[in-house]
Amino acid sequence: MPEPIDLRPPEHRVERRAIGLWVLQSVIGFGVLAGLLLAAYLIVDGARSWLGPILVVVAVWGAVVTLVMPLWRYAVHRWEVTDDAVYAATGWIVREWRVAPISRIQTVDTTRGPLEQALKLATLEVTTASSRGPIKVPGLDATVAAEVAARLATITQRTPGDAT
Amino acid sequence: MTTEPDEPAPESGVPWQRLDTRVVWVDTAKTVLSMVPAGVAIAFFGAELSWGTMGPILVATAVGVLGGLADLLRWVKTRYRITDEHVERRTGLLVRQHRSIRRDRIRSVDTSAKFRHRLTGLRVVTVGAGQHSATGESALTLDAVRVEIAERLRQELLYGGPVERTDAAEAEPAPAPRDEQVYARLQRSWVFYNVFSVWAFFMAAGLLWGTYWALRMFGLDLRGFVEGLADWDAVGTGWTVAIAVATVGVIGVVGLAINFFAENWRFVLVRVPGDRGTVLRTSQGLFKTREVNRDDNRLRGVSIDEPLLWRWMGMADTSVIATGLTMMSMTPSAQILPRGPIDVARRVAAQVLGTDRSPLDRPLRQHPLRALRRRVGWALIVTASVTGLLAWLTTLIDAMHDRVWLAGLGLLPITLALAAVAYRSLGHTVADGYLVTRSGAWSRTTSALQSRAVVGVTFRQSLLQRRLRLATVEVTTAAGYGAYQAVDVESAEAVDLADRAVPGLLTEFMAAASAPARDDAAAEPARVQAQP
Repeated sequence: MPEPIDLRPPEHRVERRAIGLWVLQSVIGFGVLAGLLLAAYLIVDGARSWLGPILVVVAVWGAVVTLVMPLWRYAVHRWEVTDDAVYAATGWIVREWRVAPISRIQTVDTTRGPLEQALKLATLEVTTASSRGPIKVPGLDATVAAEVAARLATITQRTPGDAT
Repeated sequence: MTTEPDEPAPESGVPWQRLDTRVVWVDTAKTVLSMVPAGVAIAFFGAELSWGTMGPILVATAVGVLGGLADLLRWVKTRYRITDEHVERRTGLLVRQHRSIRRDRIRSVDTSAKFRHRLTGLRVVTVGAGQHSATGESALTLDAVRVEIAERLRQELLYGGPVERTDAAEAEPAPAPRDEQVYARLQRSWVFYNVFSVWAFFMAAGLLWGTYWALRMFGLDLRGFVEGLADWDAVGTGWTVAIAVATVGVIGVVGLAINFFAENWRFVLVRVPGDRGTVLRTSQGLFKTREVNRDDNRLRGVSIDEPLLWRWMGMADTSVIATGLTMMSMTPSAQILPRGPIDVARRVAAQVLGTDRSPLDRPLRQHPLRALRRRVGWALIVTASVTGLLAWLTTLIDAMHDRVWLAGLGLLPITLALAAVAYRSLGHTVADGYLVTRSGAWSRTTSALQSRAVVGVTFRQSLLQRRLRLATVEVTTAAGYGAYQAVDVESAEAVDLADRAVPGLLTEFMAAASAPARDDAAAEPARVQAQP
């Protein structure tokens, strides 16, 4: 697939298990939302006329997202760490390519939510001085993520930078 | 990361200091003074102690007295000290709070004074360390110390070195020559840019409400007075409303004008040399004075805002993009000029950046016409959603008129006009080591950001953008808003633009097929130009 902008895709794909993670996240998220709406629909008689359409929309959208999003994300999500920069491609409907130079990295974290722990996955978070949030690479194997974080930490220490 | 609120600072021999004792007298005076109006009303005007007439004044009195006492307690419990490495402050009665800021992280030291501080020769010192207001960090304030101490703290914290060293250096004429460069002073005509706004009506409403209650306390009836001014029944409803709106508007405009002069009295923007480079300083205020110093080492660019409704009169807000000065904070320390004319804003921007030709004056590159299609699409979607929602509501609510949804269609000209305005705002260029971006419908913002301030690049593209061959280029930075965007540029040029804005970062990730072809043609001369 040719990239829509003139950057080559990052080198590594994320783990195949990440598809499972995204399916679970979507099912749980939409499940809770639809459950709450359904409960309201059953309990409050007066609200049925306008809750009904909303419930249908949420259910259909949830089904579409659960079927399409995980595979789409798996096709898009890629990452790469070189000696000079961190490069990640994420997203599905809205795609994002983010590059941060090593010299401007402030912290490198790995985070693991409950679902990620169950699937032995981890999210790599690379923070720069910007208040616009870290570069996040979800769906990495937990050991790979830890190795990359450790490697980034050593490279970051070697590279001088003012970090602002 | 920039402040460590509870980091146990290493114990050093530096003694802890109290805030100035005059704070006690100010607090006592404040407590007594806040009881005066209620006392006068009761003693001399025989006002009844009932909730109906005295309610607001009693609340105000209670708030004043409690505020004064609480501030006394704060004085009792607050200590501060400045060691070689940290500025520390202990405060709090129930919750003990210990804040320390590392001195090398200090980015601004501001002094301000309310009227009561000026009467007593006190100043409030605010030590900023580039905290992000989004994460709930706040600056460290010392409220209050004497003028001389405030000045000394500022010298010491901003230009480094303990007091002794500064004193020793002052024997030699090191920081003494004060050749200030004055960039702007308050001009009376600027008041016209600050009085015509919706806030005039809010201001007038507040003033009238306050006056009404205050007069009622002393047995005067403002409403009866106004009702007695003319025979309003004879004037007619239409004229009455017109006169009311005009009167309230005039009161509001006058109020805003007074407020503008009170806030910006003797405004001056200067660049002052300091020990560690120069400082950009604004000072202003009649009763409440404010002086803000911005370290030039942290200056990363300038941004000019032009509100749409007042663009015909060339109204502009000017602010600097600097690390440690967040745009979102309540005190607009990033703003370096009061709202004023655009030509002054452009001249000052050029002087502040110190370039021969201001990057903000460069001609900007237009974005492809397809970007307009995206905006028209948004306009249609907004109009359709509002119309659809109204139509749906009429089927649900019987009381609503059947034709209400037509009002939604009435939005179409407005949203389409805004789409066109938003498209015309779009623009970008890279010049002299600055990335210049412009966008915005209600308020057109032009920002020039230094290349060296960029800490990352983000490209973003939705499905629709992909179909229209558009992409958004965003550079992230530690300064200002944290990110500046060139929205909807030609997708084939997105990487090239980012590469010129941040030379070198993207080289290893460029698509192999297109990189060589572009390198020798378009990108290369531009890249040379981009490096200062």
